[in-house]
Amino acid sequence: MRIFQSDILCIGAGLAGERVAVEAAQAGFKVICLTVVPPRRSHSSAAMGGMQAALGNSIMGDGDSPEIHFKDTVKGSDWGCDQEVARLFSQTAPIAMREMAWMGVPWSRVVPGEHTYYKGGKPFQATEKAENEGLIHSRAFGGTAKWRTCYTSDGTGHAVLFTLDNRLLQLGVDVHDRMQAEMLVHDGVRCMGCVARDLRNGELVGYFAKATLIATGGYGRIYRATTNAVICDGGGQIAALETGVVPLGNMEAVQFHPTGTVPTDILVTEGCRGDGGTLLDVNEYRFMPDYEPEKAELASRDVVSRRMTEHMRKGFGVKSPYGEHLWLDIRHLGEKHITTNLREVYDISTHFLGVNPVHQLIPVRPTQHYSMGGVRINKDGHAYGLEGLFAAGEAACWDLHGFNRLGGNSLAETVVSGRIVGAKVVEFLQGYEVTFSTQNLRDTAMKLEARITKIKHGTGDDCYTLRNAMQDTMMEYVGIFRNGKDLQTGVDKLQEILDRCQNMRLRGRPTAGPNAELSMALRVSGMVKLALCTAYGALMRTESRGAHAREDYPERNDKDWLVRTLAYWKDGDSLPTLKYEPATPFFILPPGDRGYGGGKIIPGKPLTDDQLVPFVQQA
Amino acid sequence: MGRKLTFEIFRYQPLDTAATPHMQTFELEEHPSMTLFIALNQIREEQDASLQFDFCCRAGICGSCGMVINGRPGLACHTQTCDLPDHITLHPLPVFKLLGDLSVDTGTWFRNVGKRIESWIHTDKAFDPAAQEERMDNELATKIFELDRCIECGCCIAACGTARMREDFLGATAINRLARFYIDPRDNRTPADFYDLIGDDRGVFGCMGLLACDNVCPKKLPLQDQLGIMRRMVTLESVRGILPEWIRSKLQGCGCNHTAN
Amino acid sequence: MTPRSPADIRSRLDAWQALSGACLALFVCVHLILEGPEVLSPSLTDAIGWLLEATFAAQIAAPLIVLLILFHFWIAARKMPFRSGELKIFVDHSKALNDPDTWLWLVQVFTAVIILAGAFFHVYTVMTDMPISVAETTKRLHNGWLLFHVIFLPCVILHTGIGIWRLAVKFGYCSKTARETWRRRIWVGMGCYLLLGALALTRAWCQG
Repeated sequence: MRIFQSDILCIGAGLAGERVAVEAAQAGFKVICLTVVPPRRSHSSAAMGGMQAALGNSIMGDGDSPEIHFKDTVKGSDWGCDQEVARLFSQTAPIAMREMAWMGVPWSRVVPGEHTYYKGGKPFQATEKAENEGLIHSRAFGGTAKWRTCYTSDGTGHAVLFTLDNRLLQLGVDVHDRMQAEMLVHDGVRCMGCVARDLRNGELVGYFAKATLIATGGYGRIYRATTNAVICDGGGQIAALETGVVPLGNMEAVQFHPTGTVPTDILVTEGCRGDGGTLLDVNEYRFMPDYEPEKAELASRDVVSRRMTEHMRKGFGVKSPYGEHLWLDIRHLGEKHITTNLREVYDISTHFLGVNPVHQLIPVRPTQHYSMGGVRINKDGHAYGLEGLFAAGEAACWDLHGFNRLGGNSLAETVVSGRIVGAKVVEFLQGYEVTFSTQNLRDTAMKLEARITKIKHGTGDDCYTLRNAMQDTMMEYVGIFRNGKDLQTGVDKLQEILDRCQNMRLRGRPTAGPNAELSMALRVSGMVKLALCTAYGALMRTESRGAHAREDYPERNDKDWLVRTLAYWKDGDSLPTLKYEPATPFFILPPGDRGYGGGKIIPGKPLTDDQLVPFVQQA
Repeated sequence: MGRKLTFEIFRYQPLDTAATPHMQTFELEEHPSMTLFIALNQIREEQDASLQFDFCCRAGICGSCGMVINGRPGLACHTQTCDLPDHITLHPLPVFKLLGDLSVDTGTWFRNVGKRIESWIHTDKAFDPAAQEERMDNELATKIFELDRCIECGCCIAACGTARMREDFLGATAINRLARFYIDPRDNRTPADFYDLIGDDRGVFGCMGLLACDNVCPKKLPLQDQLGIMRRMVTLESVRGILPEWIRSKLQGCGCNHTAN
Repeated sequence: MTPRSPADIRSRLDAWQALSGACLALFVCVHLILEGPEVLSPSLTDAIGWLLEATFAAQIAAPLIVLLILFHFWIAARKMPFRSGELKIFVDHSKALNDPDTWLWLVQVFTAVIILAGAFFHVYTVMTDMPISVAETTKRLHNGWLLFHVIFLPCVILHTGIGIWRLAVKFGYCSKTARETWRRRIWVGMGCYLLLGALALTRAWCQG
């Protein structure tokens, strides 16, 4: 077995993983990045919209501050987030954006003078200040008081990812692509690296590292209709969960994006609505202002998604062979705007749907989009349960997003948390010594080897059948609107699927070289476990908060549920073990009404003075 | 009932000693809005699970799924079957190392090229967390982004006659990437530096102006224009001291903001 | 100034190729235009021929042009598919891709070889059969040189036309937006020259 050794091993080389890698490499540590695809193909590249940071350069972001950004984030999270983390994030975001500008990101800049912008489909004039000429501009995104989303045309993720990857090239960081991390090597106390499978030839490869970072993105592929890339199967979360000692946080918090296209589930950016796109029903009637008079299409994602589902349930959906959908209208923005600022949207519509958005409506429906849950870490990025294990980005539950993240906050989180966690990893590595146990590595590799042999000799269902069964179960029973009965059915079905995974078989003949079927087969049972964490967590959480909407418990219950779910998986179990911890160590913004979304709140106990802290308490 | 599509797909696993390269035929019923992404996955999941191919974002953004579709390189995920005839032939991209069937190793190739052309901002300035960002004209920022749009799918390389014949040719994608740094004021490299990087037949002079890169680029990047701008800049650099300065500066006019220093 | 890399001389080859190509293209254009009057009046052509001879322009230019052609070929040949398998790769590639501009490069390669051989014979016969006159040309044509010209002339025009197109494209003078206009103009130009050449040949042939 080939064995590599490094100071830090980054599993996943998207924005978060690469940002941490940059930080560690700059400090002189040896970094290896593992990734299933070449770094520039990471799903980070698909994020079009932008990154939120309170720079306040644009006229519509005038007077913005980290504190306002913080408040928007906490409200967006429906008070499910860790307020200490949200403060840290909002304070660091502007610096992180400027740093990316220094590294080479071609951010869109302020052009002084009068411009026509759109709000809720209506044009208005605003004059950008002359003194801010050439500074980073920002656009509108849902659920924010100010326009603070930094962007590069409509390819923010792509531009920032390429810039970071360029920096990795410059720093000479080793990148091992087509390498799938399967299991963490640990002794129950310390994490020492991982065993990975080389997707080029199927060989197992060992990695020893003082610090291991999980930055593998989301686990959207547990749903059938998802905007996530095919690689977003939760590999990192699975590896962490299967240690038995590392918990996953808030797995039931799954965000649906209002504008996934039909039938391909490709996301069209929130920028469409930010720039003035509207949602129409079967009668081409703009229905959102009826539900959300103030914010209309720009209410937070969970609200818009739910209102859309609600409207379709009332019979106003557009029937199609691929199920019901609604329309997104951007025609009034004009050809020039659509083919420049929203060109990616234009390309997607014409290439994948055969629709020209300049003249036609785009079919959209709420589609799984983001996993707020993930490997539970503390504010420094250190995972619970194992020393030397870190996580960042969507793979982690840092907990910036609580039960709903704001558009533009996740992309910002990648580089902001990457910067913060990277610095903490560097701090951790300084003076940290660990003895690598080859015994542990060998045992892990043998366990993986046994798993592969078992699949090769299985006689039951193939991995695609099982994966599809899981995805359909999640869509059907653990979707946007949830209730106890459905969730219980979902959990039962998933348990049965997990059981069937024991006897999974391969359809194709295993040969030397890449074997996509085996790679998938190795993932499926882990994905079912993630699905169970999601479904079971949702079943137990008897309230509605953010993206988690229970029809049988429509109130947000701050009395009993201002907590974060921690899901552990004990070896051999068929259900996760759930524990809970307070959502936030202290309150800067006490729980209240978000100002959109409606819904009743069951208030918690009045906060004591020592629970309340001011925003400007520390730097 | 949709059309019956016939897929003729290149099959070969280089690591399998018993395997020989051959074409295999699959049949599939066409559905509305079917893309090659949908079709290939259907083939793998229902007919032959040993078929290898790469997809990632399946939205034409990540560049994973470049392959040769009826003779022309393109992205499989944004190729709709309704735009193709009944008979569809699929080959892996040439030039890149074959991993299996339709899957090729573009990652290693692009990484090596990235290192060769030093694809990063060369600056002496350190980042100052307390300072405001350096200002930039929005038009320039947009221009840089336009060149940054390349998704490194490898289609331009596969379509390039020079790259097919000469393994060490950098290709349109790499020159385009350098053009991006050339117009970026944050990068302090001079024409002489670029000349050292690409001023030979493995670099920009390898281009024979065949335009295929331009014609197949899924992102519709003006690759040949960038090759032209860079070639002119580097050529004029190669005759520095031979050609009178006033002619050089006259010819240099390439519409970018760098002065002919 | 940073020191030059060792690739220096090789990298100047491209400039030389472009320059020699441009000069040759210019020469071909002028040469063919000078043939033009033949269509109207052979005696005018004879007069031009006399002028060129009397000023020794022809005697000096002809060997220089041959040398320039050799030079241009020698430089450009580094791009030609001489190495083993290269030609096959390129032909297969052209067939699969079926892109006109890729095909045109093969045309460029084949016409280059024909021109290299043809130009030598052409200049040799003209120079040994002084003076330059329509009558001499007619005599040569009837002596079996007609076929040579029927092949040689289109090759020269194609190679020149494609060459100019490539130069403009490679050095960024013909940008993406202007490309179709350029392409059309070059094809029209080549057509005109071909017509002119064909008329001149016919006229010369009929003189006899």
